[in-house]
Amino acid sequence: MRLLLAEDDQDLVATLRQDLEAAGYAVDLADNGVDAEYLGNEAIYDVAVLDLGLPKRNGIEVLRNWRSKGNALPVIILTARNAWHERVEGFKGGADDYLGKPFHVEELLARLTALLHRVSQQPGGNLTASGLILDEERQTLTTEDGHSHKLTGTEFRLLRCLLLNPGKVLSKSQLMDHIYDLDSDKDSNVIEVYIRRLRQLVGSEHIETRRGQGYVFRDN
Amino acid sequence: MQSLQAKLGSGLILSLIAVFTGLWLLISFNIQHLAEEYIASRLRHDAEMLLSTIQFDKNGKISLDKTATNPVYSQPFSGHYYLIFANKQSINSRSLWDQQLHRTPVKPGEQMRSHQPGPNQQQLLVVSNGFTKQGHGLNIIVAEDLNPVSDNIKQFQRRFAVSAVVFLLLLVILQAFILRQSLKTITRVRSELQSLQQGETRQLNTDVPEELRPLVNEINHLLGIMEQRLHRSRNALGDLAHTIKKPLTLMQQLIDQHHATLTKELYDKLARQTKDINQLTDRILKRARLAGQAHSGARFSFTRDLPALIETLEMMYRDKNVKTQLIMPTEVDCAIDREDMLELLGNILDNAYKWTRQHIKLTITSNTELDICIEDDGPGADTSQFSQLEKRGVRLDETTHGYGFGLAIAADMVREYQGTLSFSTSDKLGGLRVDIRLPAG
Repeated sequence: MRLLLAEDDQDLVATLRQDLEAAGYAVDLADNGVDAEYLGNEAIYDVAVLDLGLPKRNGIEVLRNWRSKGNALPVIILTARNAWHERVEGFKGGADDYLGKPFHVEELLARLTALLHRVSQQPGGNLTASGLILDEERQTLTTEDGHSHKLTGTEFRLLRCLLLNPGKVLSKSQLMDHIYDLDSDKDSNVIEVYIRRLRQLVGSEHIETRRGQGYVFRDN
Repeated sequence: MQSLQAKLGSGLILSLIAVFTGLWLLISFNIQHLAEEYIASRLRHDAEMLLSTIQFDKNGKISLDKTATNPVYSQPFSGHYYLIFANKQSINSRSLWDQQLHRTPVKPGEQMRSHQPGPNQQQLLVVSNGFTKQGHGLNIIVAEDLNPVSDNIKQFQRRFAVSAVVFLLLLVILQAFILRQSLKTITRVRSELQSLQQGETRQLNTDVPEELRPLVNEINHLLGIMEQRLHRSRNALGDLAHTIKKPLTLMQQLIDQHHATLTKELYDKLARQTKDINQLTDRILKRARLAGQAHSGARFSFTRDLPALIETLEMMYRDKNVKTQLIMPTEVDCAIDREDMLELLGNILDNAYKWTRQHIKLTITSNTELDICIEDDGPGADTSQFSQLEKRGVRLDETTHGYGFGLAIAADMVREYQGTLSFSTSDKLGGLRVDIRLPAG
């Protein structure tokens, strides 16, 4: 999942980025409001973590600008300004969730997962489809036969992306956008390698190839 | 102090009465004077006419050609009289009949005027003239009854007085109207001040008479300064919170990140300390942010801000699918700062959302005081936990743990507004019931 982190505190970003990447997010950083707004409009992000106290352009303004352009990017506001009137402003501005600083990373990750499930209209808890259970916290996959498999970072990202969009055709470049951040080296052949590996785990009937279009996850 | 309208009105009526009375006296006096002058000059002409008909013979005997005199002098008590005397002889007009005029000799060429009572209660104006004719000195006294003229004058005075009273009344009515019109602006300013107090407006209308403008401008200026100050101090506090929380957030992250390498004891201590610092700063900053009863800034609107707050909480606790029942009158009178009220209700409702199973009931009643009652169907609480909170001046660190942190902030706020906050068990829902009573003004 591609995540836009709009936060200007370099020290916080350094630790937070590690935690987010460890949790399977491809993280892009914007350290000011103008960049954040621009990147957020790029339609490649699955979720944004937005600090309200951004330099150049205030976070709430960034959010309002996104929403006024019809950009429905799921947004979690992360802010030290947690007076109630600011919360009300935040939700009125179109935020999907609000987390006051200081916070525990676990809480942020839990809220991110919950938000992504909600956006894909998936129930809470672990992601499940066709007898498969994806534990997003431990990044493990339990297959129909009850066996548990530890996934690598990329496998996990790719599978989560597929499970969150069942029945939808995802092109290779879309999948790339959602699992890699701006700084990664991208090689589209790698996707094919990982798809093959995932087919071995979940069964090839679940991941269909549409020639020239991309891949579809088939839920029974 | 006496009201402006009464003061201006009574002053105006008194001065108008004085002016009309003065005018009446002046005109009466002048008319009397003019009439007398006129009669006196006519009498003088009569005297001269009489003089022309007088003849002295060789012996100095005086004779008068009565046929040449005005017939009114022949009619008894006609009001027109004369008396001629010279060389110890005298001729009375026939109109005098048996009455006499006082004779006061006057030197030739001189004239004397006097008032005398005449026959039949007549008031006579008497003019005595001294002449010399054919070498004989003689006095001709002519008199005329003033009563007919006085009657006329009295009639005029009466008419004048009546019309003056009518004019006076008209003027008073007109003035009262003008006064009321001009005072209307003051009444408007007064009602604006009231709506200012109620928080319906932020500034007074400057379209007022010049005399009031400095006052209105000054009030607006002060309001502006207060609003600005509140805004500035709130911004500064917001920045402060931001600044303090930056390192705090990082500390929290580092503690979390190194959870595995820290001993449990150390981890717990560090985690607890960062939490404490966070909550203490929150509480102190929130207490400092309170606008309190300073009448500035935006007011809380139950119809606009409360639904937004409930929506916010529903978003925050979306997974719980809480049903909130809101009971409130269509209009709630409340002069409480918007941010303060959001903080108060936010904290208490947050607590309710946190503990509720599904149902929350929010009841607002507004009479002379504002009553807010929040009930939930959660586990409720041991009332002894809350007795501490209700007490005035609870030490900050006593309430930072567990249940009551948000409620402690709410309690601070209620105290700031001289209201009361009490806790009990909800009869209907079985959970916690919080009652807030705030003075409405």
